[in-house]
Order: sequence, then C-alpha cells, then structure tokens
Amino acid sequence: MTFRLGFGTNGFANHRLDDALAVIADLGYTGVALTLDHHHLDPFAPDLSRQVEKLATRLDRLDLGVVVETGARFLLDPWRKHHPTLVSDAQEVRVDFLLRAVDIAAGLGADCVSFWSGVVPAGVDEDEAWQRMRSGVTAVLEGAAERGVPIALEPEPGMLVERLDQALRLREELGSPALLGITLDVGHCVAVEPRDAADCVRLAGDLLLNVQLDDMLPGVHEHLEFGEGELDLAATLAALDEIGYTGLAAVELPRHSHAAPDVARRALGALREASSKPVAEHPWLAEAERTVRADPVSIRTFFPAVGRAVGRQPLHGASDPLGVVHGTVDDRARTTLLVALAATTGPDELAAELLSLYRFGDDAERRGVLRALASVGDKAPAAGVDLVKDALRSNDTRLVAAALGPFAARHLDDHTWRHGVLKCLFLGIPLAAVAGLDRRVDAELERMVAAYADERRAAGRAVPQDALDLLRSET
Amino acid sequence: MRIFDPHIHMTSRTTDDYEAMYAAGVRAVVEPAFWLGQPRTNVGSFTDYFDSLIGWERFRAAQFGIAHHCTIALNPKEANDPRCTPVLDVLPRYLAKDGVVAVGEVGYDSMTPEEDEAFARQLELAVRHDLPALVHTPHRDKAAGTARTLDLVRESGLPPERVLVDHLNETTVRAVADSGCWLGFSIYPDTKMDEDRMVAILREYGTDRVLVNSAADWGRSDPLKTHRTGLAMLAAGFEESEVDKVLWHNPVEFYGQSGRLVLDDTTAADTFAGNSVLRGERP
Repeated sequence: MTFRLGFGTNGFANHRLDDALAVIADLGYTGVALTLDHHHLDPFAPDLSRQVEKLATRLDRLDLGVVVETGARFLLDPWRKHHPTLVSDAQEVRVDFLLRAVDIAAGLGADCVSFWSGVVPAGVDEDEAWQRMRSGVTAVLEGAAERGVPIALEPEPGMLVERLDQALRLREELGSPALLGITLDVGHCVAVEPRDAADCVRLAGDLLLNVQLDDMLPGVHEHLEFGEGELDLAATLAALDEIGYTGLAAVELPRHSHAAPDVARRALGALREASSKPVAEHPWLAEAERTVRADPVSIRTFFPAVGRAVGRQPLHGASDPLGVVHGTVDDRARTTLLVALAATTGPDELAAELLSLYRFGDDAERRGVLRALASVGDKAPAAGVDLVKDALRSNDTRLVAAALGPFAARHLDDHTWRHGVLKCLFLGIPLAAVAGLDRRVDAELERMVAAYADERRAAGRAVPQDALDLLRSET
Repeated sequence: MRIFDPHIHMTSRTTDDYEAMYAAGVRAVVEPAFWLGQPRTNVGSFTDYFDSLIGWERFRAAQFGIAHHCTIALNPKEANDPRCTPVLDVLPRYLAKDGVVAVGEVGYDSMTPEEDEAFARQLELAVRHDLPALVHTPHRDKAAGTARTLDLVRESGLPPERVLVDHLNETTVRAVADSGCWLGFSIYPDTKMDEDRMVAILREYGTDRVLVNSAADWGRSDPLKTHRTGLAMLAAGFEESEVDKVLWHNPVEFYGQSGRLVLDDTTAADTFAGNSVLRGERP
C-alpha cells in the first residue's frame, strides 16, 4: 500500500480529541482526518496557537499523518448546519474560516485543507453560485499560497460541486492552480458518480490530495460501514495503489460516533482484508478466461478449480463473513468465466452448459452459477429460472441467498419469488441478499410475512428483525 | 499415533466407526471411488456417488474431526459393463474438483480387453489432470495382474512415483518395489494382509514408499487395522518415527502430489446443504 490509512475525528465526536487520537493510533491507523470543531481544536479559541503546537507534538509522537477537514456542522452558525458556505451571501465568513484552517494545517504540517462548495441557496441561480464559488476559492488560494498549504475540493452530494467532473472543471477555469487539488469520498462515488470509485480515483489521478473511505448505496447519501453498501473496496484500494497515491485515506463515518472504537476496529479489519485481496485480475483467471474464449468446453475443468486458484474469501468480510449476502472471491471469478463463455456461445449452448455446470457442481460451483446469472442469465432465462427454482428447493443458505440475486428479481414468477423471500426468513438469511426487494414486495408477500410473524409470536418465538423491517417499511 | 488411512470406503461405514477411528488417532482419510456391492446400471448412479464423495461424505467426516479426500474413477469391475463405461466422459469434470487427490481405483479385475481400455484411458486422464493414480490389483491371478499393471503404467507415461499400486502381498511386493511405484497394503481380518505379515514385509523392504490401509468397506473389514498395524510395528521394535512415516508421512507425500490435500482445516461447518448428521432438534 502506497498510502496511509486513517480515521476521521468526526466519527469520534463523543471523545476528547486527545483520547480519539490515542484510540485511532492504538487500533493501528497511521493517520487522522481532523475535522475542526468547537470541541476538537476550535479554530476560534483564544489559545489556538498553543493548542496547535501541542497537537502537532502529539501527532508526531503517535506517528499520525493528518489532513484538516472543514465540514463541521454548527461551527460557524449555531442555527444552520454547514452555514455559511462559499456560495452563501455571507461567503466571507466561510473564507475566513478556511484561511484559519490553512494556518492550522501549516502549524500541524498537514497534507492539505479539505473543503466543499455548499448547497445553492434559494433565490440564487446556478451561474451566480458558480461565480461565488470561483471567487471564494480564489480568496482561499491566496492564503494557501502564503502558507504553502494545498487545498482540496471535495465534491459533495447535493452541493453546487457534487461530482468529480464539476470539481475538475472549476479547477481548470481557475487556471489549474498548483495548490488546488481534490478530495474524493469514495462512498459519494457510489451514490452520485457515473463511474465507480476506482475509476474516479484514476480520473483524479495526481490531483488527488485526500481520500475519504466509506460505503454507500447508489442514490443514497448516507455514510455506511464497509460491506453495507455497494462499494468495491478492494478495487478502490487497488486503484489508489495503482495511481501511486501517497496521501491519507481516512474512514469517514460521522454518524457512528456512538460506537466509535468498535466501528473503527471493524473498518480497519475490512480495509486490511480488502487490501490483501487479489483484485487486479488474477493471472490464473486471466489465462482461464482466455482459454474459455478460445475453447468453450474448457470451462468444465476450470470451473471446479476456481477456489483453489483465486481463493474463497468473502467479498465483504467485515459485514458478511460467510459471503451469504455479497458472495465470495471465487463467486466473482466464476462470473468472469461464465461471461467469457456467454460471449462465445449461442443461447442454447450457454443454457446447456449452465445446467451441466450446476448439475455436476459442488456447492461452491452451484453458487458460482447462480451468482453469474445476474450477468449471463438474460441470455438463457429459461435455464436460469430452472436453476433458481432448484436452489430454492434446497436448505443450503448460501445457495438460497445466491439464487435470489438480480436475475431472480427480473425473471422469477411472483409466487416462487415470494416463497423464496419467506424461505430466507425461515433460514435466517439476511434479506439484504434479496435483490430488488423494495421493488418487488407486494401485498401478498406482506400478508405471508405478517402471517409468519403471527405464527412466531403464537409460539412464543422472536420475529426476525428483517421481517419486522419489511412489514414496517410497507405500512 | 497419528494416522492417515489412504484407502477406506467411509460411505459404507457408520458414525461409530468415525468415532472409533478418531479415538485411535485417524485424522485423515482418502476414499477411493469403487463399486458398491450392488452393481450400478447407469451413469447417473456414478455421478450421484461422486457427488457424495466430494460433498456429503466429506462433510460427515469433518463432523468427526477427520479430513476426507477422495479419488475418482470408473472401477475395473464395472469397466466391463457397457451401461457404465460412458461415465468415462464425465470424469474430467470430477477430476478438477476440490478434494479429489488422485484418479482411482483403476486397474484390473478379470483382465479383460474392456478393463485394458478403461485403465489406459484413465491413466491418460491422470497425466492430463496432473493427478497421481491409485491402482487396484486383482484378487484372482494377482501376480500376473500386477505384472500387467506395471507394464501398462510404464506405457502410460505417468511417472512411477505418481502411482500407488495397492492390495499387495508377499508375492507381488518385489515387482512393485522394483518399479519405483508406491506400495499399498490393505490389512484385513481374514484376506489380503494381516498386521504381522505386514511387519515382516516392512522389516524386509523398509518403510520408504510404503502405505498401509484398512480398505474397510461394506464387507467384513476393520477400520482400525491401520492402528493395529502401528501397534504391531512398535511391538516388533520399530521406532515411533518409523510408524509415523508409514501411517502419516508417506500418504501425505503421495497424495500431496495432487496439490489438493488440505489437512489444516479442522473447522467443520454445522450443516451440509442445510442438513446435519445430528438427529433431533438443531441447536
């Protein structure tokens, strides 16, 4: 790994700053993203310079790298979150704060000051907001140049600059100042970017000065622990290595302060696991994929050997240690092989081979076929539905979970699909494994789940939380 | 005493056997695919059996702390039945699977042309899948069958150090020892070999390349014969390290050539495909 892993102090809001730093360092992080706030190095404190000096010594002693974050919620205005911003009427308040942050960063020897644009205020049009942004950044850059501190603009969902391409455009319009770089929150990439986080990392390239790590779901700006969203963490970390990123990549979970030490421990576990994964295409897999394209029948002997060659770890080990919800490394590799097969065979041959691979497969191979249906099943839907139904007749939790992926969401009839969901509740399979649940849930499924809950209660047994959540979300 | 039984048909054995084997020190087994007493009549019967060897039986053994691997093949006896021989076409799928550490049991039963054909084809599969081969020697006309076996192995191009010739006795041990193949001895209550004759062979031929198994199956046999042979070796003055070599290191070395032996994974799942070997309510 070419870069430092850190944790954001805004995820330790209920800790004294000193204690937070100790916990973060003790867990094994080597950096910290410091959000200036009224209780964490208040930039308006009368003895600020003494505090900065003390903190610099402490960071040095703990061997923590640091970036300065400026996203505190009520630091400048006790009534309005994040207010004022660079696009507000009172822009100068934000500029003043950012200049203080630049001073602090200089005192701490921080990599950079990270900042965002702001939500366009009511009554201000997009062009006006853009002009304000340009002038605000220009003003901060002057201070930054005096202190030699880089500043890093973070695209933030819902704000004027919410995507990476907008941040890059702004930078270009300002004449590509050397001290203006990019902060990338990889979870935001999942939520709002047209490309995945790894590609955003590549796009930002040398301009990347600061990285925030968290998971997210598409379209939902909510910072999640790794594995709870759809971020491909391993691929993202690999992309950072690939571009030779040397800055700080710090976990950004500002709403998890209530359990900060545990959250931070889990996050580091997930990061270590993800960074040890074979992400860049495994040489064995690359060779197998080429061979399958040239000689489709060869998939019959490659398919069983996948686990031995590429490993069997879960893709999201922290939240999904058995790979029930998100699958495993070998699942993913088997999808690669079947995609290669589908590219070189007609629908009938593909259907026949899917059936055979499943029929002759052990449990891992069967899961591999089922999970690959999301990518290749549309080309052989009848065979795919047969296999999904077969898997749903089994009591193997990983098989049942793998069966209810996106292919089943698209192709399985209502009756079978509903019974599949109910079977998940029976077998204790997290409903997170069921693709398209929100879209496909209907009154009949609600009735079935409600009846199941009644039956559990009548027997004096607990009702699974997933069942309660499903019923609640639909009422 | 740490025991690796390199040839035992656990499918035919009870959970009591598993418990007794574990208590006696058995920590690993290889289960060769063989005939089931009742003849098979179609290919599906084989594939269900193979599925069980790589799936259910593996799981069952793990419940008792025993690492289970298998060998896959069309056995010599059923190689004579045209309803069974098409299984040769699906073997490549199975030879690629986890837990499969050799092609076997192959070899001769009655030394028919059909057996010649199946034997040769399967040795070729061993070469192609980079697997060792476990070779059964016939019960009848054993010495002639063993000689013909060694000829066929030589012609196959499979190096002798990747071949284990099994069910040997005093009349066949010399030829196999000279061939460079590994030597397998099945210790049985009445037939094949017994513990004391085995000790005598070990005295004469040494412990290199020698494997001792119980070959326990659905017939009268004893899954603890490996353990008893170990005891007989000690009683006859062999060192513990020599017993360990025969009962553990040699089978590990031979089957380890497959690259698929997994002996450190003692964590067993609670269920296989949702089913447990325990009866009654699940925890």
